[in-house]
Amino acid sequence: MKYQKSIFLCMAIFVSILLLVPAGYAQGPIKFGAILPLADITGDQGAKAMKLAVKEINRAGGLLGRQVELIVVDDEMKPEKGAAAVEKLVTVDKVDVLIGGMSSGVHLGQIPIMKKYEKVTVWMGAASSRCEQAVGAAADWYFHLHPWDYQQGASYLEGWSAINQKRPEVKIDKWFNSYEEGAFGTASFKAGQPQFANWLTPQGKPRTLDGEPFKSAALGGGDYRTVLRHAKETKPDIFLWTGYDADALPIMEQAKEIGFAPPVFIGSPPGWPAAFGKSPLAEGVTLYGMWAPSIKEVSKVSKHFWDAYIKEYNQEPATYFAPLAYTNVGFVAEGIKKAKTLEKAALIKALEETKYVSAVGETLTIKPSNVIKHQGFTKQKILQWQKGQQQVIWPFEFATSQLAYPFPSWDKR
Amino acid sequence: MERVRTGQIVEINADTLRAVMTLLSKLKQSNYQIAVISIVLAIILAAWKPHVLIEGLQRACLYALIALPMALILGIVGIINLAHGEFMMLGAYFAYSLNVYTGMDPLVAVFPALIAFFLIGIATYRTIIKYVLGAPELNQLLLTFGLAMVMEQLANLIWTSRPIKLPLKYVSASATIGSFTFGTFEFVYIGAAGIVLAGLLLFLKRTSTGQAALAVGQNPRGAKLVGIHVDRTYLLIFSLSIALVGAIGAIFMTRHSIFPLVGAPFTMKSFCLIAMAGIGNLMGILWCSLILGLAENFVLSFRGYAGWADILFFALIVGVIVIRSRQRQVK
Repeated sequence: MKYQKSIFLCMAIFVSILLLVPAGYAQGPIKFGAILPLADITGDQGAKAMKLAVKEINRAGGLLGRQVELIVVDDEMKPEKGAAAVEKLVTVDKVDVLIGGMSSGVHLGQIPIMKKYEKVTVWMGAASSRCEQAVGAAADWYFHLHPWDYQQGASYLEGWSAINQKRPEVKIDKWFNSYEEGAFGTASFKAGQPQFANWLTPQGKPRTLDGEPFKSAALGGGDYRTVLRHAKETKPDIFLWTGYDADALPIMEQAKEIGFAPPVFIGSPPGWPAAFGKSPLAEGVTLYGMWAPSIKEVSKVSKHFWDAYIKEYNQEPATYFAPLAYTNVGFVAEGIKKAKTLEKAALIKALEETKYVSAVGETLTIKPSNVIKHQGFTKQKILQWQKGQQQVIWPFEFATSQLAYPFPSWDKR
Repeated sequence: MERVRTGQIVEINADTLRAVMTLLSKLKQSNYQIAVISIVLAIILAAWKPHVLIEGLQRACLYALIALPMALILGIVGIINLAHGEFMMLGAYFAYSLNVYTGMDPLVAVFPALIAFFLIGIATYRTIIKYVLGAPELNQLLLTFGLAMVMEQLANLIWTSRPIKLPLKYVSASATIGSFTFGTFEFVYIGAAGIVLAGLLLFLKRTSTGQAALAVGQNPRGAKLVGIHVDRTYLLIFSLSIALVGAIGAIFMTRHSIFPLVGAPFTMKSFCLIAMAGIGNLMGILWCSLILGLAENFVLSFRGYAGWADILFFALIVGVIVIRSRQRQVK
C-alpha cells in the first residue's frame, strides 16, 4: 500500500513537471539556418548581428512560446560550399527558415538546391538580377530583401535627379564610370547603360555615361593611373568607380597624384576598408549604401541596433550587412509572430503582410519585383564621407547632411 | 710618312672594326638585344606618351623587384616557390603590424622585416623545404602550394579578409612638368630594384660565398666534391630570398591595399618573368620586366584596349619562350 502511494506520488510530480514546463521546451527551439561568408566582414558582422537579434528575441520570451536557435554555416564565398550548406541545414539540422546570404555568385549555386526543398527562405544578400531570374516567378517560398542591381541603378538616378532639382548647381549630365573588369564591375556598368539612355535632362537631352574597365587590386591589379587619366580627359560632371574595397584608398591616392578632382567623386565598392574615413583623401567622396552609422540620428530602431551591437561586441558595425542581417532575423520573427504557426502557407502569407520597421532606416514591406513575388527593399541611399563619417544625402527624409559640392580640391585638405 | 699614315688608318680601321664586331657579337646575346629594344621604345614613348614611359618604368621595376628573390631560389636551390607571393603578403602584414603597434613607417620596417623574414626563411627551410629537395618536382610544387594555402588562411585568421591600407601622405607625391603631372613615389621601386639587383650580382660574383652558391646552383654534386657545404648554401640562399621578399612586402604595402590573397597574382607574374628571362638570369629579369611593364602601360594608354594588357603580357612571355626553345633546338 505504502509502495503504491509512493508510485502515485512520483507520477503526480512527474505529470506536474510536464505540465509546468512550457510547451516550447517540449517542442524544441525554432531553428533559423543562416549562410554567410564568415571570413568576410559582411559575413562576420552579419552573423554577429543575427546572434544579437536572436538573443533579444529569446530574452523577450522567444517565438510561439519556443526559444529560437540560430545555426550559422560558412559559405566561404564559394558556390559549392554555399549549396552544401543549404543541403545540410535543410536535411541534417532541419531548420524552419533559411536566412542570410551575401554574394550573388554563391547564391546562383544555392538556388537549385533551394528549389529542390522549397523551404521558406528570406535572403538578405545577392544583388545580381541573374539570381532573380534563376529563382523564377513561381517560387512563392522565396523572399529577397536586398535591392536587385537594376533597382539600385534606378534609385541612384532618382536620387541624383532629386539632388539636381533641389540644387541646380550640381551638374549630373556627363558621367564617367571606371569599373573593375570582373563580373561585378562589368555587370554594374552594363546595367547602367540602358537606364542612362532613358534618363533625360529637363530639356529632353540625353545624359551620357562613358566608361572604362580597370584591373582591381583584388585580382592582382592596383594601378589605376591610366584609367584615371582617361577620365580626367573627358572632364566628367560625375566620376564613379565600381570596384572592391581593396581599390578604395589607392584610387584616391592615384587621383590626387595625377591631379584629378571631378566635381563629384563617387566610389561604389560593396564595403569600405577599415580606417578609410580617417584619411583626408576620403573627404567629400560620395558613396552608395543601404545604411550609414549616421542613420541612428534619424531612426530609433537603427539607434537601438547601434547601441546594442556595440554593447555586445565592443566594436562598431562597419558594413550595412550588419543592420541588414539584424533586420533579416527580426523580419522573419515578426512574420512567425503574425502567422502564429510555422506552417508554410500561413507563414508566407504573414510575411507578405508584415510591415517591419527596420534597422536600415526604412519600413520593410514585400512587393513583387520584375520577376519574383516577394521583394523587400528597392532603394539604396546616396551617402557622402564628411569629416570621417558617412552622412546620408538622399533620400531627403533620412538626410543627415547636405551634399558637399564640388568635391574639394586636393590642396585644400 | 705616307706609309705610316696609311698604317695608322689601317690600324684605326681595325680597332673600329673590332669594336663594331664586339658590339655586334654582344648584340647577338639576348640581354643586349632586349636592352636595345627597350632603349628605342623608351625614346619613342618619352616623346609620344611620357606617362607610359614613367609609369611603365615604375611598374616594371615593381615586377622585377618581386621576381628577383624567386629567381634566386629557383636558380640556386632549384625549387619553384609557389608561396613566394604569400611571403610578400606576410611581410606587408608585418610592416602593417609594426606601424599599428609602434608607429614605425613601413619604409623603415624594411630593416626589421629583413631580419624577421631571414629567420622565418631559416625555419621554413629547416622544417619543410629541406625534406623535398631530392623529391620529384611535382611534390615540391604541391608542398609550396600547400604552404601558400596555410599562409593565406593564417593571415585570414589573424587579420581577416578585409583589405587594409595605411593612409600615407607621401605615396601620392607628384611632380609637374609643363602640363604633365605624374607620381613620384613609385620611383622607390626603381631604386629598390636597382639596389636588390646590384646587391645580388655583387654577392654572387664578388664574394666567395656567392660564388660557392653559383657553383651549387650549377652542379651541386660537383660543388660538394670540392668541399662546398651544399645544405648550408641552400639554407643561406633560401633564407636570403625570403628575407628580401618579406622586406619587399613592406615597400609594397605603402602603395597597395593588403589582404590574404594579395600576393598570389605576383607569384604567377614572377614565375612568368623568370621563365621569360631564363632561369638564373637576374639581369634578364630586369630587362624582361621593363619590356613587359612598358608594353602593358602602352596598351592600357589606348582607351578600349585595357583587356589586351594581360593578353599582351602572357603572349610576349609565350613568344620569348618559344623562340628560345627553337634556338636551343637549332644549336
